[in-house]
Amino acid sequence: MKPPPFRYSAPTTVSDAVALLVEHADDDPRVLAGGQSLVPLMNFRLAQPGHLIDLRRVTGLDTLRLEDDVLVIGAMVRQSTAERSPDVALAAPLLAEALGHVAHPPIRHSGTVVGSIAHADPAAELPAVALAADAEMVATGPGGARRIPAAEFFLGPFTTALEPDEILTEVRFPPFPGGHAFVEFARTHGNFAIVGVAALVALAGGEVTRAAVAVSGMGPTPLRLTAAEEALVGRAPGAAAIEAAVDAGTAGLAPAGDLHAGAETRIDIARACLRRGIEGALARALDRR
Amino acid sequence: MTIIERRDVPPARTHGPRRWVGQSIRRVEDPKFLRGRGGYIADLVRPGMLHAAVLRSPYPHARIVSIDTTAAEAMPGVYAVVTGAQAAELTDPLPDFGPDPAKHTWRCLAVDKVRYVGEGVVVVVADDRYLAEDALALIEVEYDPLPAVVDPVRALDAGAPLVHEALGANLAYDRTFDFGDVDADFAEADLVVRDRLRWHRSGGQPLETVGAIADFDPSTGQLTAHTNSLSFTSYLFMAAATLRIPANKLDIRQVPAGGSFGSKLFVTKPLVIAGMCSRIVGRPVVFLEDRVDNISNCDHHGSDRVYDVELAVMRDGTLRGLRIDTIDDYGAYIQFGVGHHGNALAQVTGPYTIGSVRYRVRAALTNKNQQGAYRGFGSEVNNWMLEQMVDKAARELRMDPVEIRRRNFIQPAQFPYFIPTGNAYDSGDYEAVLERALELGEYDRWRAEQARAREEGRYLGIGLITAQERSVFSATEFWFWFDEPGAPVTSMPESVTLNVDATGGITATLYSCAFWGNSPETMVAQLVAEEFDCEPHDVSIVYHGSQGGLPATGPGGSRTTVMLAGAVEGASAKIKAKARRAASELLEVDPDDLEWTEGGFQVRGVPDRRKSLGDIAIALHLFKHTFPEDIESGLEESKVFDHPWTTMPSADRSDLGVFYPFMGHACHVPVVEVDVATGEVRILAYAAVHDCGTLVNPRSLAGHIVGGTAQGIGTALYEEFVYDDHGQLVTSSFLDYTIPSAMEVPELRIDHVETPSPYTPHGIKGGGEGGRMMAPAALNVAVNDALAPLGVRVTELPMTPDRLRAAIRAAEGAPPG
Ligand SMILES: Cc1cc2nc3c(=O)[nH]c(=O)nc-3n(C[C@H](O)[C@H](O)[C@H](O)COP(=O)(O)OP(=O)(O)OC[C@H]3O[C@@H](n4cnc5c(N)ncnc54)[C@H](O)[C@@H]3O)c2cc1C
Repeated sequence: MKPPPFRYSAPTTVSDAVALLVEHADDDPRVLAGGQSLVPLMNFRLAQPGHLIDLRRVTGLDTLRLEDDVLVIGAMVRQSTAERSPDVALAAPLLAEALGHVAHPPIRHSGTVVGSIAHADPAAELPAVALAADAEMVATGPGGARRIPAAEFFLGPFTTALEPDEILTEVRFPPFPGGHAFVEFARTHGNFAIVGVAALVALAGGEVTRAAVAVSGMGPTPLRLTAAEEALVGRAPGAAAIEAAVDAGTAGLAPAGDLHAGAETRIDIARACLRRGIEGALARALDRR
Repeated sequence: MTIIERRDVPPARTHGPRRWVGQSIRRVEDPKFLRGRGGYIADLVRPGMLHAAVLRSPYPHARIVSIDTTAAEAMPGVYAVVTGAQAAELTDPLPDFGPDPAKHTWRCLAVDKVRYVGEGVVVVVADDRYLAEDALALIEVEYDPLPAVVDPVRALDAGAPLVHEALGANLAYDRTFDFGDVDADFAEADLVVRDRLRWHRSGGQPLETVGAIADFDPSTGQLTAHTNSLSFTSYLFMAAATLRIPANKLDIRQVPAGGSFGSKLFVTKPLVIAGMCSRIVGRPVVFLEDRVDNISNCDHHGSDRVYDVELAVMRDGTLRGLRIDTIDDYGAYIQFGVGHHGNALAQVTGPYTIGSVRYRVRAALTNKNQQGAYRGFGSEVNNWMLEQMVDKAARELRMDPVEIRRRNFIQPAQFPYFIPTGNAYDSGDYEAVLERALELGEYDRWRAEQARAREEGRYLGIGLITAQERSVFSATEFWFWFDEPGAPVTSMPESVTLNVDATGGITATLYSCAFWGNSPETMVAQLVAEEFDCEPHDVSIVYHGSQGGLPATGPGGSRTTVMLAGAVEGASAKIKAKARRAASELLEVDPDDLEWTEGGFQVRGVPDRRKSLGDIAIALHLFKHTFPEDIESGLEESKVFDHPWTTMPSADRSDLGVFYPFMGHACHVPVVEVDVATGEVRILAYAAVHDCGTLVNPRSLAGHIVGGTAQGIGTALYEEFVYDDHGQLVTSSFLDYTIPSAMEVPELRIDHVETPSPYTPHGIKGGGEGGRMMAPAALNVAVNDALAPLGVRVTELPMTPDRLRAAIRAAEGAPPG
């Protein structure tokens, strides 16, 4: 379980890092962030990058700040830093809650928020959060920076809209005034979840005014459950609306089964998580008012 | 009911008061491990050491057409590339106690075909493990894939692909044993409870995998190997034979195992690979499995059984007879034969007075890694099967699950008790254990809580089980399977040498494995302290390598503490006999007038006329002329302790003799809640009461119970080596092979009842496997109790969310009935 040989660079600026990606384009270059996904893949020789470009020494990537109401997380912000940040708790409590489900504390000390999103594991928590929260991805390439909405970012398992010469320099989480909940089901604590649900709801005048729900583990990418959202909006927050949302949200799902749960069980579990996620978000939205 | 006569019972001992045995002391081993000085294989770097890596088969079953190693051999930093065919010219087959080894020949690397995913095909030796793995990637193997056989029942069908053509079938063993009058018990039964049960394979997961550092010295022909896998030490000559090295030129040095749980029992393949490579390159070579090697190719998978069971019961709850028909999936080889079923037969009827048993066992060969040992060695599976059946009988009879067990317990006055198979139970008090467990587990309170929860639509379950923990195996269980056994061995000794230096300091030399988790150093220190009234931590413990060592067997079958206690007792008696003579000379009194008290000999009733062990030792070491001619200088004695109670099986095998007589017992009471929406099982409370005779170090025993129970929780809920329908291993890392962590394992409430064995030193019984022998049964019973209102009964382990949801869906879809 040892990686094959590779070259290694540790640039100090984003433009140098991008330049290295361009320069070594023929050598299957990869960006290295916290290494908690990439290094195990290399040890199993499932990933065999020719050149690693380490982001750890790049200045400016560890920023975690509020720009007005928007939470901006830089590429080298560790998951544990975000988990403990008062800014995250305030501006993106859904993210804060989801982070507690990602792996174990030692792994979160190394793993980055942005790395997890860039990695785009369909079972991972943070991509589902980014999708539910309508986060924006800031990709920096040779031509400068561009913004990609989360809805257009996740293309398939471990596949994103990033170009090979682009680095995901930051992820921006807009505010969501309302209630949130992240609920997941995993075989063991800290292991990848079978299903995860990220839910955001807002209430006004006794009815749901906005809902955003995403699910992980049910397809090649995290999925936005717009049918569930539609079933909630305009209705009073109660059991009937929740059941309607659960039915609508899971109706079109066709997950592939795997070792940990067959397709049927995955849907059973998704129903339970969806119900609990929406209930939790509604309860918090009610609390908030 | 069949009455088996009591015979060949050893004389009962009387146990005196104890000073150290029974005290919780800090483990002697701890400081070195806590300081990172345990010296695991990965810490041991020998000068000039090279690293080996093994190319594993990606196919479950395939012919090896050709292997091209040219590019690997040409790679800088590579010293040797050895294919299976080449290895077969350098080494002999691996030691195999299975039936007819020639019909399923097992070698360190596959030769003509691969038989499971992960089987070794080529080994590379290079400057480091990175380069070795780079070279593996350059090797080209052409395979001709064959259909794989994965399911043990289908493996026995005519026309199933053959794992070993030489065997002509995939059935490696098939025999039915009748113990007692089974037919009469079933004919007279009021009710026969039937079930089909399925236990899937899992295994012990050590922190450090199996490794060996071999160092062959061409000038002496000596092979010195440091390895963490060394047991059945008396049988090391077999490993020497595999390596084609004279047994007296093989020295195995013990390295602490970073966990074994049985999984390192006699795992000689890494040693043979490292030894072969060292001979080729003339330098030290380490082969340390990586995790994938260990999971896929370490020959330590646990039992994998299908059971068809019938239990004959009377309306009043009396359990009469058992008919067991089991198929065990051994994987591609069968190194220990069906010894695992000897473990089952040692306690097949549990703590109950069941009078007869029919036991059919079929060993199926399939395209999987083979079975080895895992904490319980197959007896834990029997415990699970039996408790499932007893629980089902209680349900069918509408009896209280506590009451049905209590009603069938062997009573204290009945010991020694011979079960139908002929094995003896030395002692026990099952009622006392049960009572304590009901109290500790707050059984009545939880029953009330369960009723309340049900009203809220929550599914709580209580899993009470009472089961046995056999200890101290006898070698007969490896061969009584055959009418004409190849090697009807009967010795399974353990040895200790005690040396008292000139200052009175004591050094104990041990001859089998270093630390496997079973604290042999602490045990010996405490036992020596008991004999000589010294501080346990003042006793020095060293290990003697295999070369020139005394006979030893090593850990396995919860034997270590009992066997070491016998060896310490024997060696101490010899030391004291010599010391008494010496003291009698020094004090000029008759030896019989001396008594041992407070660390020395004194004249009976005259406390100021005494010689401490130190006084005696310095005289014996330095003043030869003080003593008669025949007293040699120094003070050192050894004891080779043989199994204290084993008898031979009968010729017709209707009686297997006494082979596992020191019988521990436990009652586990977990409380679970099943989330019926997801199939998740949460453990709300867990109580465990054990009786393994006299406690030596309660602290380390509690560790065994916690660890074993955690593994049992794994077996019940999480762990399984999964091979898909094509034979592909889909759990080759800890990403997919899920192990319970501290978050899944609850805080246990533990207590003990002590029923000393009349036949062992101090009354000790083994206790190393207890937790895992109970927890799977207890959790299964608990889950079934929780789901009973839904009409769901789970008969397959592990109880994954997928399996539970499938069962619940099926019950929901079934017409009410
Ligand atoms: C035992 C264990 C358990 C785990 N459990 C979970 C879990 O439950 N849930 C979960 O979500 N994750 C889990 N993980 C993965 C963990 O969260 C990773 O840290 C995370 O997925 C990747 O972040 P990283 O910073 O370590 O990225 P790296 O491993 O360094 O990189 C991952 C991939 O993303 C790319 N990448 C990283 N950063 C950027 C960037 N800024 N721009 C472009 N590409 C980039 C890399 O090139 C690489 O391909 C677990 C990991 C381990 C070892």
